[in-house]
Amino acid sequence: MTGQQWRKLRGYGGLSLSTLAAALGLFWLFFILSDVVIHGIGALTPELFMKDPAPPGVAGGGMRNAFVGQLLITFFATLFGVPLGILGGTFLAEYARGKGFARFISILADIMVSVPSIVIGTFVYAVLVRPLGHFSGWAGAAALALIMIPVVVRTTEDMLTLVPWSQREAAFALGAPYYKVIIQVVYRGAATGILTGVLLSVARVSGETAPLLFTSFNNAYYSADMGQPIASLTATIFQYAMGPFEEWHTQAWAASLVITLFILILTVAGRAIIRWRYSHR
Amino acid sequence: MEEGGYIKPDRDDPGTGEATALPGPVLSRAEPRGLAAFFRRRSPVDVLFATLTGAAGVFIIVIVLGILGVLLSESVLSIEKFGPIGFIFSTEWNPVEELFGAATGLFGTAVTTVLALVFAIPVALGIAIFLSEVSPNFLKGPIGVAIELLAAIPSIVFGMWGLFTLAPIMADHVEPALQSVFGDIPVIGQLFAGTPMGIDLFTASVILSIMIVPFAASISRDAFNLTPALVKESAYGLGATKWEVIRDVILPHARLGVFGGIVLSLGRALGETMAVAFVLGNNHQITSSLFDGAASITVTLANEFTEADSDTYLSALFHLALILFVFSLVVLALAKYILLRAQRKERA
Repeated sequence: MTGQQWRKLRGYGGLSLSTLAAALGLFWLFFILSDVVIHGIGALTPELFMKDPAPPGVAGGGMRNAFVGQLLITFFATLFGVPLGILGGTFLAEYARGKGFARFISILADIMVSVPSIVIGTFVYAVLVRPLGHFSGWAGAAALALIMIPVVVRTTEDMLTLVPWSQREAAFALGAPYYKVIIQVVYRGAATGILTGVLLSVARVSGETAPLLFTSFNNAYYSADMGQPIASLTATIFQYAMGPFEEWHTQAWAASLVITLFILILTVAGRAIIRWRYSHR
Repeated sequence: MEEGGYIKPDRDDPGTGEATALPGPVLSRAEPRGLAAFFRRRSPVDVLFATLTGAAGVFIIVIVLGILGVLLSESVLSIEKFGPIGFIFSTEWNPVEELFGAATGLFGTAVTTVLALVFAIPVALGIAIFLSEVSPNFLKGPIGVAIELLAAIPSIVFGMWGLFTLAPIMADHVEPALQSVFGDIPVIGQLFAGTPMGIDLFTASVILSIMIVPFAASISRDAFNLTPALVKESAYGLGATKWEVIRDVILPHARLGVFGGIVLSLGRALGETMAVAFVLGNNHQITSSLFDGAASITVTLANEFTEADSDTYLSALFHLALILFVFSLVVLALAKYILLRAQRKERA
């Protein structure tokens, strides 16, 4: 074999391997998704959403308590986390723009995005659960909010930075104070981007389990009281999957299917919005 | 605008657009600077809004310091009893006699993380090469999105899938096959000893590697895409094959970014909980075989935190959480530093 043939052959080998790697990535995605669909679709009935759990081992029953709990926890986490995150991002991109201090917070927020979520759970346990003496939905919402804030801070900062400075100058020239410029000009210009950030952060926390295990804990019964232990989909999936009953496993798969679909749809929608917003200008 | 995209304001260039943003209203340029002047100059509402956003910004620092402080004060009991260093090296984990050490947890975390990286890095690099150089243009978008969707699947779903689907496959097919190939080789055979059950370090590492591939792949792809076309074309002009361009031009050019992505994935893998909680077995032991169960820090916390019935037990768990938090902060900060350096090098 000549040197050239050898180089070509090695090239084909390398390129085929990289194609194979991409195929492997797609394979895992489809393997996992199809597995969740196959196992979960059978138990995806109206009863799953409408009924509370039957006693262990008894057929029937649903996961209404978990769906309601999950919605409540996520809703309140968003209620606290999003405004705080947007304000923080505004500070970094506007009032403190270009300052070393802002840069430090921005880097810290970036690091916080990847910090183990279970650590946040232990922190909230020490601060909100043990002093009160019981697990509560509020503690769960607080844990998720703490996970959301850095995500929202960073996307808000990035999106505000994308608004051209000249637009602010135009508003300044009309005599508007900075807060009016931010609220009426900058926020308006960055609204789609910020909304996407919020969608993605909701998607991010919806799948979180670890921080809920010792904050909102779990509840086998229906409860909408945020001051008490409350069921969540993810914690229930963990309990059901580890449990011994076949019905539990099936319902855990169905719940996994619902939550996976929810998150994938949010993620795809977020990406689509961003692409639509920032390509047709 | 990507990761940590930061624009150095340039006071001498009052240009427009994103690239040369000014650090504050232009009108204020000639006015006195400093905090007092800031308050005198602005309308009260503006000051209020600035303070509000400032408080929210500073809240990030408060969270980090708060977590550090609270975890530290909760660990005091364990630190006093077992010593800050002694705790790390003690393999004891005995709730009955209230003797605790982090060594078994650290062992599980270290083995699963390192093994996951070993599995994930080649695949992630392959995907990144495919997405930036090999794939036809119309496939780049969809495949890129599909890989990133893999990162969006919640970790608890990875865990369930691992327990009910992957673990049996591992136990019945993959692990016996590995055993028959490597089992008789001295030393290496030790790694594959024992009865393959599927609930072990090996399965946990495989799941973990699937979870971190998307992170490493997308950062590496971004790094590859930064290679200037001119440099690539020069190499092609000299008669290099596509593979030679990738290996000798693009990879060296992007190595800092790729390395940063790998360290970031390492940080992610350290703290992953639910995906491994199902398949690791929470077995506090240090073992030579990958086909044995083990316990990682995160899995210990997830399984035992609500069961801790004594102050020492709980404090030891907080101590574990503290070690994990500090360790991830260091690793993630390192990743951030490398990525920022890669970015700066790119801009220079």
